[in-house]
Amino acid sequence: MLAYLLLLPAITLLAIFMFYPIINVIAQSFSNTDIIGRIQSFAGLTNYKALMVNPEFWTVLRRTILWTVLAVGLKTIIGFIFALLLNVKFRATKLARALFIIPWATSVPITAVFFRWVYNADFGLLNHTLRMIGISNPPYWLADPTSAFFAVLLVDVWIGIPFMGIVFLAGLQGIPEQLYEASSIDGANWIQKLVFITLPVIRPVLIIGTMLSVLWTFNDFPVIWIITKGGPINTTDILVTWIYKNYFMYNRPAMGATLGTITFLILLAFSIYYARFYFRED
Amino acid sequence: MLDFTLGRINLKKHFNIKSFIIFLLFILLVVNLFPIFVVLSTSLKGRGEIYSSPPTWLPDKFTLENYKEIFEVYPLARFFLNSLILAFGGTILNIAITIPAAYATARLRFKGRKLVMYMLLMVQMFSPVIIIAAIFRELSIFGLLDSYLGLIIINAVFTIAFSIWMLTAYFMTIPIDLEEAAMIDGCNRFQAVTKVVLPLLGPGLAATMAYTFIWIWNEFLFALTFINRDELRPLTVGIYNFIGRAGIDWHLITAASITAIMPVVVLFMVIEKQLIQGLTGGAVKG
Repeated sequence: MLAYLLLLPAITLLAIFMFYPIINVIAQSFSNTDIIGRIQSFAGLTNYKALMVNPEFWTVLRRTILWTVLAVGLKTIIGFIFALLLNVKFRATKLARALFIIPWATSVPITAVFFRWVYNADFGLLNHTLRMIGISNPPYWLADPTSAFFAVLLVDVWIGIPFMGIVFLAGLQGIPEQLYEASSIDGANWIQKLVFITLPVIRPVLIIGTMLSVLWTFNDFPVIWIITKGGPINTTDILVTWIYKNYFMYNRPAMGATLGTITFLILLAFSIYYARFYFRED
Repeated sequence: MLDFTLGRINLKKHFNIKSFIIFLLFILLVVNLFPIFVVLSTSLKGRGEIYSSPPTWLPDKFTLENYKEIFEVYPLARFFLNSLILAFGGTILNIAITIPAAYATARLRFKGRKLVMYMLLMVQMFSPVIIIAAIFRELSIFGLLDSYLGLIIINAVFTIAFSIWMLTAYFMTIPIDLEEAAMIDGCNRFQAVTKVVLPLLGPGLAATMAYTFIWIWNEFLFALTFINRDELRPLTVGIYNFIGRAGIDWHLITAASITAIMPVVVLFMVIEKQLIQGLTGGAVKG
């Protein structure tokens, strides 16, 4: 019918450039491939088993989870605080909100390039400032695995706060005033109002916001790639950067494909499990 | 007694709490915006002043010389042009295929409608990195590597899901009676849509296009992987490459960064309201 015709261009392009590659990748994960990824023979679960006993896999996986939990946690908390503050009516509210959004409007790659400069040990802004105030040997931020990890985490959080803030703000604004007023009559203080009124009412918003944030953060490629390229020596690689390296630097397409499939399954499982929270009504 | 609700504050009675909140907000905003302020301020300083000590916050002398210099040192104009081409091309292709698709999902009943919607949702979950090598091979086979067209197509494809979701929602806000009335008056469906519905779709369509444009402008991974020649690189990858090569000159980096993000920041501010309504319309009930 007409509908199919209207959908045809979109579906066709999606089929060619998304669905087929997805099937291709899944197939590759179960195969032996040549160096450019063409499937040679069936390999069953060999690739998967190889990954399970590969210590690097577990390291990267743990790091990816740590990365996601910390980043989303910080973005959520800080975003929520901003939302609470921005929800207060005062004269400059509109201006405050516009200013708040600016980090979100900036381009992620450009921001990442900027922060890479900031963190540069010799010429970067951070160390220059530290030297100015008297610290003569400021650290090589990006050369140490731990500080590099947190340096990049900070950038990701900075960029992501506005999204959470706006989502929460929209949620807060949907809360009817009467709820608060009624509880005031019952003598509630602000902490009680926060915990027993605000949080439960915005729960759907909270769940969807954090779910999206988890999906995006887990897969965040530009920030890490631009600032550290997964370094120093692969110690800030998360799954997506490691997959990219397997494809284009190490020439291990089957491994990349297997990792990719596992990544997808992890996120799929997460989404299904998390969505249950959303639909579970009290 | 302090009647402090987190929703509104009574202006007259509780001045202290409110002032505190505004103060706190102000502090947080300053911290949050500090990096941007530094970039902007540095980019407007003369070279001598930037490296002076002690460093100044606001430029003593505002100057645009850095903005001039970046175009001489980097092929920034070229990068800018490439970003424009890719973003425009991708956006046009995107809405050309998503407007009909969204119309179908919004208005027409057909078998598999739910499946299509779920599929579009699932697609959002997929990180492009997972399939990037496969897409690379495909583009290679089609001869589309290292070309504007290849990148335009991929960018358009990866924004399809979002556009269809947004446009479907916008279509659904337009009452179907309008089309039916037009068709009773003698138009066929196509005319009814183009003359009656599309004009009403205006703001929603503009917001969707703007969002797609911004997405493509800021896109990094595909441009990094599918393009080899410097002449074709957009701002994102171009600046990334050049910072590595040409060393680290503050006045250049900051000016280049501001130039690169200026168009989309402006665009973003313009559509901000629409975008938020679109994003949160589904999440918030009532």
